[in-house]
Amino acid sequence: MFENIVQCIFVNPWPFWTGGIIIGMLVPMLYYLFNTALGVSTGYGNFVKFIFPSAKLKWIKSKFPETLSWRVFFIVGIILGAFLSAVLSGNFKFTLEMGYFTKIMEWPVLGTSIYFFSSGILLGLGARIAGGCTSGHSIHGIANLHFSSIIVTILFLIGGIISTNLVRFIVMGGAW
Amino acid sequence: MGKKIGFLFFGIIFGFTLSRVGASDYDLITRMFGGKDFKIALVILTAIIVGAIGMHFIKKLKNPMKNGEKLKISCKELKRFSLLGAAIFGIGWGMSGACPGTVLAQIGEGKLYGLITFLGMLSGTYIYALLKEKHSEL
Repeated sequence: MFENIVQCIFVNPWPFWTGGIIIGMLVPMLYYLFNTALGVSTGYGNFVKFIFPSAKLKWIKSKFPETLSWRVFFIVGIILGAFLSAVLSGNFKFTLEMGYFTKIMEWPVLGTSIYFFSSGILLGLGARIAGGCTSGHSIHGIANLHFSSIIVTILFLIGGIISTNLVRFIVMGGAW
Repeated sequence: MGKKIGFLFFGIIFGFTLSRVGASDYDLITRMFGGKDFKIALVILTAIIVGAIGMHFIKKLKNPMKNGEKLKISCKELKRFSLLGAAIFGIGWGMSGACPGTVLAQIGEGKLYGLITFLGMLSGTYIYALLKEKHSEL
């Protein structure tokens, strides 16, 4: 019985609803405890400030006065939490695998790195122009019934559907 | 609980959950966009519903905040280029199979290309700061 519970929590992948309930509860919980909205991508600005504390750019100077903000702690926490999950389930390893992308595409490491780096640039830039990401807009924003977040999320999904299918059919040559 | 320690703690919960449910899996994210597997869409949908119910109760509380502050819900306004930004974000999401939260979970699991995506995101944020210098409407 006990082994079964341990197995279900730490080893087996969770069903969608377990994850959804915990992530969803973060929204009211963070308001209740800290009067703060759930959101990750703004923290990337804090992280840039953390790396370049003396950056002269107006946006960084005015928006991120603190070098070591709580948002940096949130980012570090997410990394630690996933690390714990991987270690406890026995799946932790440093790897150059990225699902079927690296299975199908036998690109050299440099080429694959350029691909993922470019997609990262789009994510970072896009999130700032849109004013948030999946957590801040799609989960926090829609949970609060904000019209702007609903519209932005629809555009997130359209962008994702277009790029996934283009990569799938043009770069990888078809079949799932 | 201090805000920094608190967010470290909730970050750990968030990261653990993202990893356990498979949100850090490139295949699951891209299969959602390909219409093949909707597990991650269901995770997001459940989170929205649970979040909405929770917010409903928080708003009803007389003195909602633990420290006595007035509840201040942050609403993101639509600006001129918000939708363009959202589309750019979506394209990156589908290409990398990661978003700003799940890429951190990928790093925690030891996925090295997740680290590359993360460095790209920091660069994208820096590029935004550069653009913002000249174009305050962004």
